[in-house]
Parts: sequence; C-alpha cells; structure tokens
Amino acid sequence: MTTLDITTPGSAAARLRKASRPKLGHTAVGLLLLAVMLFPVYWMVNASLQPSGNTLTADFLPLNPSFEGYEKAIAQQGPNLLTSLVISLGTVVFSLAVAAPAAYMLAQFRFRWINAALLAILISQMIPGIVIANALYAAYNDLGLLNSIPGLILADSTHAIPFVILIMRAFMMRIPPSIVEAARVDGAGLVRAFVSIVLPISRNSLITAGLFAFLFSWSDFLFALTLTTTEDVRPVTLGIYQYLGTQVSNWSAVMATAVLSSLPAIVLLVLAQKYIAAGATGGAVK
Amino acid sequence: MPTLTTSPAPGDLSPAATAGTAERDGRRRGFRRERLVQALFLAPAALFLLLFFGYPVVKNVVMSLQEYTTRTFFTGEAPWVGMANYATAAGSSLFAPAMLNTAMFTLGSIAGQFVIGLALASFFKRRFPLSGFLRSMLLLPWLLPLIVSSATWRSILDQDSGILNAFLRNLGLIQEPVPWLTSPSVALLAVVLVNIWVGIPFNVTLLYGGLQEIPEELYEAGAVDGATGWKAFWHITWPNLRPVVSVVLVLGVVYTLKVLDIILGLTNGGPANATQTLAVRSYQESFVNFQFGVGAAFSNILILISLVFAVVYLRMNRRAVDE
Amino acid sequence: MKKSSLTCLMAMAAIAPLALTACGGGGSQAAASEKVDSLTVLDYYNNEPDKTHIQGALDKCAAQLGVTLKRETVPGKDLIQKVLQRSSSRTLPDVLMLDNPDVQEIAATGGLAPLDDFGVDTSGFAQGMLDAATYEGKVYGLAPTANTLGLFYNKEMLAAAGIQPPKTWDELKAAASKLTTGDRYGLAFSAIATYEGSWQFLPFMWTNGGEETDLKSPKVAEALGFVDGLVASGSASKSVVNWSQADVRDQFAAGKAAMMINGPWQIPSLAKTPNVKWEAVQVPVNAQGQTPVAPLGGEVWTVPQTGNKAKQAKSAELVACISSDENQLALAKERFTVPTKTALAGEYVKAVPEMAAFTEQVANAQSRTGKLGKEWPKTATVMYTAIQLALTDQASPQEAFTKAEAK
Repeated sequence: MTTLDITTPGSAAARLRKASRPKLGHTAVGLLLLAVMLFPVYWMVNASLQPSGNTLTADFLPLNPSFEGYEKAIAQQGPNLLTSLVISLGTVVFSLAVAAPAAYMLAQFRFRWINAALLAILISQMIPGIVIANALYAAYNDLGLLNSIPGLILADSTHAIPFVILIMRAFMMRIPPSIVEAARVDGAGLVRAFVSIVLPISRNSLITAGLFAFLFSWSDFLFALTLTTTEDVRPVTLGIYQYLGTQVSNWSAVMATAVLSSLPAIVLLVLAQKYIAAGATGGAVK
Repeated sequence: MPTLTTSPAPGDLSPAATAGTAERDGRRRGFRRERLVQALFLAPAALFLLLFFGYPVVKNVVMSLQEYTTRTFFTGEAPWVGMANYATAAGSSLFAPAMLNTAMFTLGSIAGQFVIGLALASFFKRRFPLSGFLRSMLLLPWLLPLIVSSATWRSILDQDSGILNAFLRNLGLIQEPVPWLTSPSVALLAVVLVNIWVGIPFNVTLLYGGLQEIPEELYEAGAVDGATGWKAFWHITWPNLRPVVSVVLVLGVVYTLKVLDIILGLTNGGPANATQTLAVRSYQESFVNFQFGVGAAFSNILILISLVFAVVYLRMNRRAVDE
Repeated sequence: MKKSSLTCLMAMAAIAPLALTACGGGGSQAAASEKVDSLTVLDYYNNEPDKTHIQGALDKCAAQLGVTLKRETVPGKDLIQKVLQRSSSRTLPDVLMLDNPDVQEIAATGGLAPLDDFGVDTSGFAQGMLDAATYEGKVYGLAPTANTLGLFYNKEMLAAAGIQPPKTWDELKAAASKLTTGDRYGLAFSAIATYEGSWQFLPFMWTNGGEETDLKSPKVAEALGFVDGLVASGSASKSVVNWSQADVRDQFAAGKAAMMINGPWQIPSLAKTPNVKWEAVQVPVNAQGQTPVAPLGGEVWTVPQTGNKAKQAKSAELVACISSDENQLALAKERFTVPTKTALAGEYVKAVPEMAAFTEQVANAQSRTGKLGKEWPKTATVMYTAIQLALTDQASPQEAFTKAEAK
C-alpha cells in the first residue's frame, strides 16, 4: 500500500465538515433498521393484545385490543419483577467485582499459564447449563441456599463471570501500560492503580460487560427453576411459566408478561448506553 | 487479513505489543509482594470457577463413561461402560446429519450475526439524533425469554397464516407460500435466520464497545495519510478491533454450538429430523429417551468441538500478544 | 463473603453430591415421628384454572387427614428433571404427581412405593389407567380422572356443507375434503416431533388393529397412509408437522379448521370463542364395526420412597382421597376430564353431557405404557419420526417406520 504515506491535508478538513452536518438522514435509516429488527417484538405486542394470545386472526394493527393478559400480568407479576431486578443487579455487582481484577491481570501481565487459564474460562462457557444446575441443586440443598436470592445471584454469575473476564480482558488489552506505569512510579500500589486508573478508563467495557451480566441474569430460567422449590423467590422468567401449562397455555398473559418485564430493563439499558456514549466523548484513553 | 505490522497508523497503536512490559521494566524490588497482589487479583475468579465449574465438568465426563439411567439418580449405581456411550452416539444414524446441521447452523448463524452486527455497530458509531436510544433498543430481543420469541417467530413463519409469507406474497416475491418450518429442506435455514436475529444484539453491543475504544485521533491521523472509508476500516478499525473481534467470534461459536431452546421452540428437531443438532441430540437422549450416559457423550463431543475453536482463539491471541 | 460460607462453598465443590448438612440450616429433616402434620406435594398443574382446581381437591383431602400441605408446581416439561434431581439428593416430595406414561419409568428406579404397602384399595379403576401405573405387578399410583382424544367439529360449518359427523375413515376423508375451502382446512391434527405427535397417531393405529410392539405391520402402515393422504390431498395443512395440540386448538378456534383431533382439556379455552359452536364424537374407525381405541391420558398421584414411613402412609391416604368417588366427580366436572372409576361414568355424563363421547372413548382407551412399559419413550420417538418422514414425503408410509427405526 504505497498510497498510504501520501499526505492529503484536505481530507481531514473535509471529514470534519461532513461530520458537522445535521444527520437526520442517518436517523431515518436507523429507525428503518430498528423497525426491521424489532418487528418480531411488535408482533409479540400485537399477539399480547389479542384475546386468544395468537395472531391467527389478527390484523396488522390490534384494532380491538384486549387487555386481559396485561391485567393478569400486572396483578400477578409485580413482586416477581422486583425479585428479578434484585437478582440481576446483584449478579452485575458480584460478577464485575470478581471478574474485573482477574481480567486486568490476564490482559496486562504475562503469566506462563495464561493460556491454560483462558482455556479453563472458555471451557466453563461450554458446559451445558443443565449440568451445572443439577450439580448446584444438590450442593445448594445441603448448604441451605435453595430459595434464596444470594443463591440465585451466585448461580447466575456462572453465566456472567467467565464472560466478563473474557470480554474485559479483550478491552483491557488496549490500555497502554504506560498509564499505569506512570502512577506506579509515583508510588501507587497495584490496587490503588487499578481502582483509580484502570477502572475509570475501562468504564465503557465495565458497562458493556455489566449490561450482559444483567441480561444473562435477567433471562435466566434454568437456575430459577432448579434452585427454587417454593414461590418465595421467583424471578419473572419463572413467573411467565405459570401461564404455560402442560396442555393449555395462556399466551396473552405470557406475551403481556414478556412485554412488561422488558420495560424496566429497557430503561436500564438506555441509561447504561448513555454512559457509554458519555465516556467516549470524554476521551477515555488519553 | 491485515496484520498489525502493516498498520499505517502513527506511533505504536497496538497496545498488546507493550503489554507485559510493566513488569519487565525493572521493579525487581518487592517482586514477591507484587506477585502476591497479582495472585490476589486472580484468586476470587479462580476460586469461583473452580467451585462452580470443576465439579460439573468432571461429572459430565464421568457420566458419559457410565450406564447412567433414571435409576441411577435414585440408587447412585452406574456401571462403567467405557467408551460405549460414545460408540452409541457416534454410531447412531442421526449422528452424521446432526454434525452437519450443527456445522451449518453455527457457520450460518455466526456469519450472519457477525456481519450484520458489525455493520450495525459501524452505522451506530456515527453520532446522529436518537442514535444512542436506537442503539439501546436494538438490545430488546435479548430481553425476551426465548420461549416467547420462538413462539412469536413460529407464528410469523407459519406457512399458511404467517405474516412473513403474506408480506412476501404481497410484494410479489413468491407465488407459493414458503414452508419455512414445515419442509425438511427449508427448516434449517429458517432456524438459522431466527438465531441470527437473536444473536445480533450481542454482536452489535460488543463490537460497538470495541469501536468506541479506538481513539478518534487515529482516524484523524489516518485521514491525513489518505486512509478514509474502507481503507480506514481495513488499516485502522480492523487491527485495533481484533482482540474484541476474536473474543466475540469465539464466544459466539461456543454459545451457538450450545443453542437448544430456540430449536426446541421452533421445530423440536423436526420436521423429519431436519434440524437435529448435537445439542438437541444431547437433550433428547437425556430427557426424552432417559439415556443420560449417551446424552452426556453427545454434550462432551460438543465440548470437544468448542475446544478446537478455543484453541484457535488462544493461538490468535498469543500471536497478538507476541507482536 | 463470610468465611464460614466460603469454606462451605469449597467443600461443596469437592463433594457436592454428598450430604453436607453441617454448614447452614435448611435441608435437615426432622426425624421420623409418629405424628405427621405436614406433607410436601409436587405436580405440574402450574397454569390456571387447573392449578386452583387441584388445590381445591388437595385442600379438601388435607383437611380430612388433618395435615397441612406444601405444594410446588413446575412446568410440565421440567417435571421429570426435577424429580431426578430430587431423587439423587434424597429430597423427593411426600406426594408426587406424574404423567401416566412416566410412572413405570420412575417406579423402575425404585423411587416410588407400591400402594399396596399401605393397603390402598385400587379396585374399580379403569384398566387402562391401572396398566399405566403398574410396574412388575404392583400398582404405584392412582389417577382421579383421565382424558383421551376425540374428533371435534364445527357445527355450523358441517351444517352449511350438509355433512354428518364422520364415523369412518372414508367419511372423514370425504368430509375433510369437502370442508376445505379458501384458507380453511377440513381437518387439523398434531403430527409434531414430540410425544404429542405419537399420541395423536395412536387412535388411528390402534383402531385399525396396529400395535406399538409391531410398528412394521401393514395395519400400522395403513393408518399412516390414511393420515398422510389427508395432508397430501390438501384436506389438512402441511403445517401439522409443526403444530402442537394447542396450535391445533387455535386453528380450530380461529375457524381455520372445520374439524380437529383433540382432547377435552381444550373445552374451557374453546369457551372463549363462543361464536365457534362445536361438538365432539369419537375418533372415526377404518371399517364399520371396529371399536374406536384411543390412548388414555391423565396424571397419576404417587408416593415416593422418602424413608419416612409415617409420612408415606399419610401420603398414601392423601392419594386415595384425591381419587375418591366424590373428588373424581368434582375434578372431572371442573376440568372436563373423565372419572377413572368406570362405575361413575353414567352419573358423570348425566351431569356433563358434552363429555359423552369422551367418556365412552375412555372406557375403551389403552395406556401407552401397558405393553411396552419403560420401552415406550423409544417407540414413541420412532413413531413421531416415521409420521414426520411420511408427511414431509421423505418416505412412503410403508417404509417410514423402517426408516425411522434405523436410527
């Protein structure tokens, strides 16, 4: 690529000029892309507003909406929603606390057994959930962790921790060691350097990884089913299944619960994404 | 694929290249203490992995070497049968089709998810009104329980009354309704399409995060050197995105190989076994036929395949570190 | 994390399946005492209205026996998994509900107690249901009510076409063909790749003299040929290979099918579409004079081996109580199922006339595991695979079972 070292001074300016133009066209394209991506979600909302819970006789727009499913979901799923939120946020905090330091070590320091460690983490992602769930049931039963929120947080972290380590490591490999070095020369310990330098500049990846930890936990059904034996602690995913009978299912309530349960999560997602964007404008790596 | 050495970006842009120097540069004093602190950083994660995965992994391997049936759960007795379960798994006439389906399902899903995901991530990297909001809404499919999204997709893909066929017919693209989930020759494609849809949010979010981490100055400097558009992508974006790309791909493969709920929800392995994958086989042997040993053998075969990809990832990774 | 719980976690990794009651409460059971005041129950009636109906019956019996119940309901497809977890950790419930084809599988593990250990009277129950609950000559559970399959038809559609409810295959074929118009099919049934698909094929197979022990017989092939013909001729949708019985109900309720093969558990949800006027008859037979034989459905209540004899005895009383005459009739009326005590049939049909066809069908119904026992799951898999092969034109009805068995 010989052309690369040819300097064209005008292009940067042109680029900047282009960037400053209003980009409503992009917004329109973005809306279109989103509409295609989210059509199935719309179709689900449509189904949730049909009395039968299916779209066999539905029009494109739910002109005669039935809110029966929503009434049921609101009346029955409120506490479950709260349980889900507590468990999911707990999983985020616990997973990040355990995984972030490990990710940093694996990204920035050379260990002879680093590949073995990465392989072990990857293997942990390959184990079928049901195998882990079966093992945890026996252990939880002996430890008295069944039907407890900490128990579910720990279990849901099995999805999140290996994932967060791998993802944060990939991002943290991009942190120039010189930044940390500078602080270390000034006498900061490893812990202090990590807390006051590495974590702040890793904010984007922390939020991205945290988002996924949240989503993993929010969508978990298997652990919720396996590790609870009463209705005391019941995440909303399990709540949905109370409408899915063996022979007869109440799909309008199922769909309505799915719609309602995604609302608080959406709010959190939008907030989190705002932070990512803000971090980027702040020029995270400097 | 361009390697980091051909990267035209000014200065040393490959942070991986300097990784590790922190500890090599002198600082011999307190070396032991340093090592201890480092170990403490890793300890909680190591302990967690050991506690929550050590036993299940061993258990799954042991189970696959035993004649493990429903009776075993109650009595604990499971005679050793050596490799017999693996022989049963590999010898069944569904093994070859399941392997092929698994390969096509994984390849198709990953290719679709990654390409669309990267395209969307690049698109949303430009800042425009509502971009942040629209981007977060893209994650919505991930918030829906798979049982719900597969039920919705089943109704969309229904041959007679599904909205997709109605839409395609109104556009004049098809004359006869497409038997999405009811024809053995189309069903796998349909399942792949749905899985791509499910996986796009994962790819968009991670790749977007990766794109955000690439300093804007690189592009400005690149633009000065004439690297804009595709050139900028190949010489700036791609090399700098590589650690994220490789982890997204390896995790994507590992997760896709495991996919079960979507297939069970859409076709249950049918029609006429057209969507049988190794994961479906493993589930059905264990929980439909109650042959837990054979089911474990299937899932271990699946783990072995994942391992191959993991090793490839580590290879790529080591190369990146060495450069 | 506290230190003590940390040590426990470490211990848990090493010897997870073994009892570790030392660290942490819960899980520890009180020693067996004579006085039993509470029982745990596990079942899969997780959805309304069944959940409440079953709760009613349980509560009545609990009050009678002077115990309190702790009931757990799980989704149907996860019940077996839950049962297996419980048996390996020795935490089986005191009373366990099982779908009838699973009873022998679980009884064979040694995890269930035969009811005659506790002197429970099992006389007067429909033979099909007793067959399903019998393993090695002993009865392991009782079902208060049963269900089966029948042919539902849309009264208005049949009247408009001037068709009488079909009684034979020929009539069914003709009716289905005549009733197929526009976006409406004559008949809907389920041929999905699950046990539901096998279950829906059984009435055709059994009525024609086919047996699950000899799937390659011409009689079985003839039955499959008949079903295949309905799809091939367009009287039934090609989508049947992907329809569960609930989907079939939806098609029927939406007026997209004039007739359907389905069970009486759909009746409450059909009430939500009052504009669809329906009636039900027995599944048609191949030749006049044949007796329609349909599979027997329904859930069986069992007493697991928990090691606590006093509780097991109490549980057996509870199982007997749920299946008492009074409870059978009450549950049958509420849930549109059929009492399993054959003597109650007359009284029941008088009270719920729309269940007449199903009640008659249940009298001759067979259990899926009566002949095959633990081998049923394998055979059922071969069956639905063969049906799918035939309906998707991958094999002729004659070759389908051979091809499906080759796996």
